Amino acid sequence: MAIMQFREAIRAAMIEEMERDERVFLIGEEVGQYDGAYKVSEGMLKRFGPKRVIDTPISEAGFAGLGIGAALNGLRPIVEFMTFNFSFVAFDQLVNNAAKIRYMSGGQFKIPIVFRGPNGAAGQLAATHSTSTESIYSYFPGLKVVAPSNPDDAKGLLKSAIRDDDPVIFLESELMYGMRGEVNEDPEYLIPLGKARIAREGEDVTIVAHSKSYWIAMEVADRLAAEGYSAEVIDPRTIRPFDFDTVVQSIKKTNRCVIIDESNPFASVSSEVAFQIQQRAFDYLDAPVLRVTAKDTPAPYAKNLIEYYMPSADAAYEACKQVMYVD
Amino acid sequence: MAIPVEMPKMSDTMEEGVLVAWLVEEGQRVSAGDVIAQVETDKATMDLEVYDDGVLLKKVVQEGESVPIGGLIAVLGEEGEDISEILARYSGKQEAAAEQGTSEAAPAEATAPQAKPAQVGDGAPVPAMTAGDGAEARIKASPLARKLAKEYGLDLRTIQGTGPEGRIVRRDIEAALARQRPPAEVVTPTPEAAPVPTSATPAELPYEAVPITPMRRTIARRLAQSKFTAPHFYLTVDVDVEKAVAFRQQLNELAEAQGRPRISFNDLITKACALALRQHPEINASYLEQEGEIRRWKEIHIGVAVALEEGLVTPVIRNADQKGLGQIAEETRALAEKARQRKLQPQEMEGATFTTSNLGMYGIEEFTAIINPPNACILAIGAIREVPVVKNGMIVPGKRMRLTLSCDHRVVDGATGARFLKTVQQYLEEPLNLLL
Repeated sequence: MAIMQFREAIRAAMIEEMERDERVFLIGEEVGQYDGAYKVSEGMLKRFGPKRVIDTPISEAGFAGLGIGAALNGLRPIVEFMTFNFSFVAFDQLVNNAAKIRYMSGGQFKIPIVFRGPNGAAGQLAATHSTSTESIYSYFPGLKVVAPSNPDDAKGLLKSAIRDDDPVIFLESELMYGMRGEVNEDPEYLIPLGKARIAREGEDVTIVAHSKSYWIAMEVADRLAAEGYSAEVIDPRTIRPFDFDTVVQSIKKTNRCVIIDESNPFASVSSEVAFQIQQRAFDYLDAPVLRVTAKDTPAPYAKNLIEYYMPSADAAYEACKQVMYVD
Repeated sequence: MAIPVEMPKMSDTMEEGVLVAWLVEEGQRVSAGDVIAQVETDKATMDLEVYDDGVLLKKVVQEGESVPIGGLIAVLGEEGEDISEILARYSGKQEAAAEQGTSEAAPAEATAPQAKPAQVGDGAPVPAMTAGDGAEARIKASPLARKLAKEYGLDLRTIQGTGPEGRIVRRDIEAALARQRPPAEVVTPTPEAAPVPTSATPAELPYEAVPITPMRRTIARRLAQSKFTAPHFYLTVDVDVEKAVAFRQQLNELAEAQGRPRISFNDLITKACALALRQHPEINASYLEQEGEIRRWKEIHIGVAVALEEGLVTPVIRNADQKGLGQIAEETRALAEKARQRKLQPQEMEGATFTTSNLGMYGIEEFTAIINPPNACILAIGAIREVPVVKNGMIVPGKRMRLTLSCDHRVVDGATGARFLKTVQQYLEEPLNLLL
């Protein structure tokens, strides 16, 4: 084990996989000479050379499509988006080509590609740079979507994503790149996609939260613990395929659930999770499933407004008390 | 016909009025235009006039109470009129109005705790919420609460919900279960015991729920009824069965040679009881409280308890006193087999006038059985024991078996039961008599 920043864990995963398999390469804006816009790929150009760490022009549709073509021809690209907000420029490549070619070719082609980069809001970046895209990409059958909450999960999940034969959307967070944590250094340390982690066991309420929201959940669990309530915190880690079984098992125990999700509320990850819960655990629910999400508007710029817009620990705490029927 | 007096709208902005003072008493006759009370609105205190003649049958609200517009204040009518229908109609209306108000006030997810005060553990069943038109109001309960109520056989209408808008939630079911539990489990409220956390209550211990089968329910009902209504007393005798064991062995050697079914020791006892009952008709009887008499049955039908996986049944050997041991053995075997296959017909289990129960095969030396109603007695049969016995001043090996007769003291007295048991003993100790 070693203490690493989130960005270092991602870098370690990429380096290990590139050393293990020469078909793996990294492509994106500023990933090479500039060492990455968020220094995730620092030193990688020097280590692997310009054939495997490739700087691109500002043309997401172009390099995303290039990556897909390379994957179709047997390579295993890692495509970095400087932020997933820019992935919208390459939307057709992601949702029509990456997601559907395997299906439309009757399985003749595999698309072993990872699209990774920071996702969601990160302070005062205003509306066009603050989108949470997990709800959008998990909508499409054919895409896997991963959203780790800590360095160790980031490394284990990214390695699994790189080795996966299907396209994986790998969502990071600008605000978490500097977060430190213990990371398993075993080059074969893989965390399977589609498996949630019970981060904390509890009896009174289940909180489901991924990525940054996970840390809100842990804070709320601490506050509740101080008042004598125990919250079970589940980090789904993979948004699609989603590990509903773990969540349902938990709710059979706690009978209540709060979902924290930075997405806008309509047709979001939390909508789907809440739907699945009511379908699979209806008879175990003692309260309606509640969720805490971003507000149903574009992200504001002003500091006070973006704070108000984002899901907060206070709101999540209130939601937990509401489903527990305590004041 | 009784006439409701409602809270009138006394100003444009008025939503409710407080009844400040009553000016007439119940039973007093009033005429249209009479002022019966003073009402304080949001603007002023005003007189409440009635628009009809009649007797003030009931003041529905007390002084100081607030009533929404259209709410019932009083009922007018003629002396002795039934006003329950009006009261029911208005109580239904008020609930509906209250619900409407809350759902408008609270956005879908932000269900703040509602005005309905929590009444956890008050112990009192809540009257069914029935609207005046007879339609049953929807009971709000969480899915989990509904499931638990069904599992524990609780009627949701008897449970007060403490969730938003009176929703019945898990804790309400748990509170109801806690009230239901027999007081024996919650007595001794020592100061230390009082603040036990709820997680320690039996309802929350891990368990496996086993449904109560119809058979189990029948056993529970009949045996509880027997034990609670028939005063049991017990007589035990230690029978020397040395001869009976040898006798049975002889019979079975013959049976095997002739290809007939073997005779069990239990069959000997069935026969012995049947013959003894013939001599003691007061045992072959039932105490029938409803009919106001004791019946001495003219036929002797012996019920034989058979243990099954899921309970027990008592197939009946009819007219056992008239049947030979071979026939008793054959019938008992066939009925027990049918019982184990659950193919026993009701008529094959009905009409026993006496019952035996045998736990000897489990090594039980003696036990007391619960009378199979409406029998007067049941005989509990223990194991055959090899024991040292004194014979002619010498200690020699012997065989003994304990029989315990449970008697319903309403119909059988101690001496009566003892005489019967003595006869059974004699038959078993001189088993050749069973053949006569």
